[in-house]
Amino acid sequence: MEDKMSFFDICGGRLALQRRYYSPSCREFCVSSPRLSLRLLTVVTCTVWLAAYGLFTLCENSMILSAAIFVTLLGLLGYLHFVKIDQETLLIIDSLGIQMTSSYASGKESTTFIEMGKVKDVIINEAIYMKVIYYLCILLKDPGEPDGISQVVPVFQMEIMKFRQIKNCLLSSCFAQFTGWAVGLVRDSFQEGPMRPEPRPF
Amino acid sequence: MAYRGGGGHGHPHSAALNVSPRSLPTCRTHTHSICMVSDFFYPNMGGVESHIYQLSQCLIERGHKVIIVTHAYGNRKGIRYLTNGLKVYYLPLKVMYNQSTATTLFHSLPLLRYIFVRERVTIIHSHSSFSAMAHDALFHAKTMGLQTVFTDHSLFGFADVSSVLTNKLLTVSLCDTNHIICVSYTSKENTVLRAALNPEIVSVIPNAVDPTDFTPDPFRRHDSIITIVVVSRLVYRKGTDLLSGIIPELCQKYPDLNFIIGGEGPKRIILEEVRERYQLHDRVRLLGALEHKDVRNVLVQGHIFLNTSLTEAFCMAIVEAASCGLQVVSTRVGGIPEVLPENLIILCEPSVKSLCEGLEKAISQLKSGTLPAPENVHNIVKTFYTWRNVAERTEKVYDRVAGEAVLPMDRRLDRLISHCGPVTGCIFALLAVFNFLFLMFLRWMTPDSFIDVAMDATGPKGAWTYPHPYGRKQGDNNEVSQVR
Amino acid sequence: MVLKAFFPTCCASADSGLLVGRWVPEQSSAVVLAVVHFPFIPMQVKELLAQVQQASRVSIAVLGTWCHHRQEPEESLGHFLEGLGAIFSHDPWLQLCRERGSKFWSCKATRRQVPTSFGAPGEDQVMLVFYDQRKVLLSQLHPPAALPDRQAGDATASAGGLAAVFDTVARSEVLFRSDRFDEGPVRLSHWQSEGVEASILVELAKRASGPICLLLACLLSLVSAVSTCWVFKLWPLSFIWSKLSTCEQLKHRLEQLKLIFSPQKAENPSQLMRKANILVSVLLDVALGLMLLSWLHGKDRIGQLADALVPVADHVAEELQHLLQWLMGAPAGLKMNRALDQVLGRFFLYHIHLWISYIHLMSPFIERILWHVGLSACLGLTISLSILSDIIALLTFHIYCFYVYGARLYCLKIYGLSSLWRLFRGKKWNVLRQRVDSCSYDLDQLFIGTLLFTVLIFLLPTTALYYLVFTLLRLLVVTVQGLIHLLVDLINSLPLYALGLRLCRPYRLAAGVKFRVLEHEAGRPLRLLMQINPLPYGRVVHTYRLPSCGCHPKHSWGSLCRKLFFGELIYPWRQRGDKQD
Repeated sequence: MEDKMSFFDICGGRLALQRRYYSPSCREFCVSSPRLSLRLLTVVTCTVWLAAYGLFTLCENSMILSAAIFVTLLGLLGYLHFVKIDQETLLIIDSLGIQMTSSYASGKESTTFIEMGKVKDVIINEAIYMKVIYYLCILLKDPGEPDGISQVVPVFQMEIMKFRQIKNCLLSSCFAQFTGWAVGLVRDSFQEGPMRPEPRPF
Repeated sequence: MAYRGGGGHGHPHSAALNVSPRSLPTCRTHTHSICMVSDFFYPNMGGVESHIYQLSQCLIERGHKVIIVTHAYGNRKGIRYLTNGLKVYYLPLKVMYNQSTATTLFHSLPLLRYIFVRERVTIIHSHSSFSAMAHDALFHAKTMGLQTVFTDHSLFGFADVSSVLTNKLLTVSLCDTNHIICVSYTSKENTVLRAALNPEIVSVIPNAVDPTDFTPDPFRRHDSIITIVVVSRLVYRKGTDLLSGIIPELCQKYPDLNFIIGGEGPKRIILEEVRERYQLHDRVRLLGALEHKDVRNVLVQGHIFLNTSLTEAFCMAIVEAASCGLQVVSTRVGGIPEVLPENLIILCEPSVKSLCEGLEKAISQLKSGTLPAPENVHNIVKTFYTWRNVAERTEKVYDRVAGEAVLPMDRRLDRLISHCGPVTGCIFALLAVFNFLFLMFLRWMTPDSFIDVAMDATGPKGAWTYPHPYGRKQGDNNEVSQVR
Repeated sequence: MVLKAFFPTCCASADSGLLVGRWVPEQSSAVVLAVVHFPFIPMQVKELLAQVQQASRVSIAVLGTWCHHRQEPEESLGHFLEGLGAIFSHDPWLQLCRERGSKFWSCKATRRQVPTSFGAPGEDQVMLVFYDQRKVLLSQLHPPAALPDRQAGDATASAGGLAAVFDTVARSEVLFRSDRFDEGPVRLSHWQSEGVEASILVELAKRASGPICLLLACLLSLVSAVSTCWVFKLWPLSFIWSKLSTCEQLKHRLEQLKLIFSPQKAENPSQLMRKANILVSVLLDVALGLMLLSWLHGKDRIGQLADALVPVADHVAEELQHLLQWLMGAPAGLKMNRALDQVLGRFFLYHIHLWISYIHLMSPFIERILWHVGLSACLGLTISLSILSDIIALLTFHIYCFYVYGARLYCLKIYGLSSLWRLFRGKKWNVLRQRVDSCSYDLDQLFIGTLLFTVLIFLLPTTALYYLVFTLLRLLVVTVQGLIHLLVDLINSLPLYALGLRLCRPYRLAAGVKFRVLEHEAGRPLRLLMQINPLPYGRVVHTYRLPSCGCHPKHSWGSLCRKLFFGELIYPWRQRGDKQD
C-alpha cells in the first residue's frame, strides 16, 4: 500500500511525503525535497565569478580567477555532499526499531537505527533555530534511571514541516503506539530534555 | 489572591474552580493575545520578574492567551512552559550589562516578528525601562502595526548624563506607544516628565504581593531582644551606605538590638567592615542572597523592617514586610509614601540621623507595646494589593488599547520628528524607516502565510489542560485567523 | 509480538534440514546459526549441541525445520518435517520453507503451549531478517554493549536488542569449526561450511610472535633499566631531561614499545586494537624517519645545512641588534624615558654580544653535531622533530632571556601600580581574607605612595614597549615549536590501524545495523536484510585515539591574554609533573 501527498514546508518549499505500508508492523515514510534547482546554481556561480572578475580587473592577478573556479567547485561539492539532502526516509519496524536514512544529493547516505527497546517516547518538540520551529524527535531512555532521558534525536533534519503536518501525517499514523505525545507536546527546550512540570518559580 | 497553580496538567481545573464567579467577567468583548516582553524574568529574581509572572498567571486565568519573551539565561534557552501552559521564549540574544541585552534595534526583529506572527499576538506589553529588549519589541511592534503597552517599574533622575541619555531614549520609545502603566503616582509623574507624555495615556496600577505567602508568625521571633530586618540588594540605590552608618549608632545605644540583613551585592563589603570594626559579629547577621521563598522566613524573625532606598517607584519589600506584621521604617523617597497608610509606616528623610530617629521611635513604641498586633496588620494589608485586582485593571487597559488605532507609518514618522526634537527625531525616523524596510524584506523572504501557527497551550481551555486537543485545536486556529 | 527470525544468508541455498540456533524469549527473536542436513541421528545432534553449549555458554537448541524444495514439493517430506517437531521439542517451532522458482519464502511458527486465552495452537506473525554471518561474527559493536563478565560464567547474555544477536553469533564460534569435508556424524551448513578460512602467513606470524616478543621485551627492559640509572637522576640532569621534548618523546615511545611487546595477551578487543594502532604508528614513524635519513645523508645535505645555520643565527642576532637600536631611539615616534631606555638597551645589547661570541665558538663543531643528530632519524620522524624543536629552543635562548627579563620587569611594575592605585583610593588588599578592604593611611604613606605611583606610571610605557616587542618575538618562537609538537602529537596519536580497517573492512567496526526491506508480497512474511552500519571516520578517530604525551595548551585564549597582560611567563613545554598532581 502506498500513498503520496505534497505540501509546503515552513520556508515555502515544496515537499513530497510518501507513505508505504509493507505490513501492519512495518511502515516507511519518505520525505523528499526538490532537486537542486538550476536557477539557484547559476545565480550563485555567476555572482561568485562576477565578483572574482571585478577583483581581477582591479588587481590584474589571474590567480583570483582560478581561485574563484576552485571555490565554486569545492563549494558545490561540499554543498552536495554535506548540506543538500534529497530524501529522508523513516522506516518503522514495530518490534525492532526505528531507522532514519538521509540521502544527500551526492549519493552519500547516512543511516541511524534506534532499537525499540531504547525508545522512550516520540514527541513534537519546539526549538529556536534561526526561527521557531516544531520538529519531531525521539527520546531515548537513560539506562541509569528509569525516568531519565539520555538523548533527544531529531527525526527529519532538513525537511521542516508544519506542526499540523507532523501531527497528522506522521505522529497519528506511524507512532500510534506512543501515547505520550498528545499531553507531552514537549514541555521543554532541546538542551535539557522535556521537563517535569515546572514548580512555581516564586 | 495570586494564582497558585501546582503545576502540571489536570491541576488547573481545580484551580479554575476556585475562582469566584464574580471575578470572571461574563460580558467581555473578546480575549486578547498578549506577549509580555522583558529582559528580566525567572530565573532572575526581583520585582519586575514576579510582576510579569503573577500578572500573566492571572490574565491566563481570566481567559487571555499570554506568552512571555525574554533572553536566555545560561543553560535555560529555547522554549519552556510554566504552570498553566504559560509559554516562555528564552531567545538566544547576547547579554550586555546587568542582564540587559545589547540593542541594535534590528537584530532582534526576525525572531520577534516570527514569534508575534506564529503566536498571533495582538498586544505587546513591555516591562521595565532598563530592558533593551522591551524597547526593541515596542519599536518592532509599532512597525508591524500591533498595539503596544509599556509598564515602567523604576524612577530616574534628570540631572546626570546617563539619565539625560536614557530619558531621551525613553521619549523616543514611548512617544507612539499606545498606553503606559506606572506603579505609583510618583512614578507616573516621573515618567510623564521624563518621556514628555500626555498624562492621559498613563495609568497607575500598583504592584501586588501574594498575601498568602507573607503571613505573620509571632512565635518565630524572640521578644527578649529587638530584631531589625533589612532585605534588599546591597547596592548604592538601596542605600546600603546609610545602613552602614545606622548599625553602629543604634547598636551602641541599645544593647538588646540585633540586625538581620538579607541580600547580596557589591556593597556587602561595607557592612562586613562595619561588623568587624565594631565587633558586632553576634548581633549583625548577613544572610547573603535569599531565594524569594525564604524571604518570609527571614521577615517573621524580626520586629521592625528597615528600608533605606534612595529611589524607589513602588516598594514591594515594605508591603511584604507589613503583610508579615512588621513595623516598617522607611525613607520618604519616590512612591513609598503612597504605598502604606500613615499608621503602618514611619517615614524618615534619607539620612543617617533621621533614620535613627525613626528607628528609635519604632523601638520605643515596641517597648511600650503600642504597636498593633501582627495579625491585625496582616489583615489590613491583605486587602490592599492583590494580583487579581492588578490583572483586572490591566485588562481594562488592554480593552481600551485594543479599540485604538495604531499610528500608520507616515503619522508615526511625523510624530517622531515633532515630538522628540529635530535631531533625535530625524535619526529615529530614519531608523524606523529602515526597520520598516527590513520588515518588508523579511516578509518577502518568509511570508506570514508560511509561518507555522503555534499550538495554544495557554489558559484553562488550552492544550495543557486537555490531553487530546485534536479537533478543538484546529477550530481555535481558524477562529484566531478570522479575528485577525 | 512479531516473531523475528534472524537467518544467515549463506544458508539460503542449503539443503533441507534442521535449524539450529538460539531463542531469545525477551525479544521473541530466533537467531538461526546453522542448518543440520539430512541424514542425521537425533541423539548425535543433541550431543553436538550440548558440546557447543558447554563451550560457548549460549543456550543453543533446534529451533525448527528448514525445507528447500529443489524439485516438485513432496508430500512425504512435509509430513516428515512436521514429525521432527515431536523429537526436538521447542516452543515456538519454526517451519521455514523455500519454494522453487519463487523468491518468497513461507514461514510458520507454531506454539504448542499456547496460553488458554488464545485457544487452539496459534501461529505467530513472522518476520525474516537475513544477516551475513561472517560480517556479524567479525564485527565489533560500538559502543560495546555492557556484557556480563564471561569469567563469571553467565550463560545468558543480558545485552539487550541486537547486541544479543551479535553476541550469540560471536560466541558460537565453536559451531563453525567444522566444514563439510569433516567426517563428523552431523553435517552442518554455515558460513565456513565451504572450508575454514585461514592463512598460512597469519599462522606463521602468530607462531613467531611469541619468541620475538619475549626477546624484544628483554631488550626493552634493559634499556629502561639503563635510563633509570641514578646518574641521570642527579639534579641538573633531571631538570634538563624534564625540559627537553626529545626526552619526553623517547620515554613515550619506550612505554609504547613495552606495551606492544609485553608477553601478556590482550584481554579485550579494544586493547588489541590499541596495540595494533601503536604498532602501525611506530612502524610508520620509523619509515618516515628512514626516508628523512636517506634524504639527509644523500648529496651532503648536512654540510649545506650546517653552513647555512651559522649565518642564519648571525643574521637573527644582527636583526635583533637593529631592533634594539631602534627601540633605544624614538620607536614609532614615541618619546621614551631616555635614561631607562638606554640602560635597558645596553643591557640587551651586551647579551646579544655574548650570544654571537658563543655561536662563533660553536661553529666548527656544528656539522659534526648535526651529523650525529641526523642519525637519530632512524628512531623515527617524531624523535627528529622533537630534536628540531629542542634545537630551535636552544638557538633562540637569547630571545627567551630577553622575554623573561622584560616580563619580570613589567610584571613588577604592574603589581606595584595596582597596589599603589589601591593606596591612592584608600584601600588595601587583605591577604588573609582575599579581598580588598578599606584602610586609612598616614599622610606620609599617602605622599610616598602617590609619588611612587607617578614615577612608575611614567616609566611604564618604556618597559611596556620592551616587553611588547620581546613578547611578540617569543610568541613567534612558541608558535613554531607548538606547530612541531602538534605534528609529533598527530603521528603519535592517530589510530592508523583502526582507520585502515575502517577503509578496507568497513564491517569490522560497526556503529550499529541498518535494515533494508526486501521485495514483498502480501500474505508472505516480511523479509528484511540486516547490514552492518560502519562507524563514521570521526568516531573511529575519537574512539581509538592513542593517548599522546600531552602538550595540549592548558590555558584558553582568554587566560593566555590575561597572562600576557599581567606579565606572567608563558611556557610552551610540557609540564607533566603538574598534571599528575
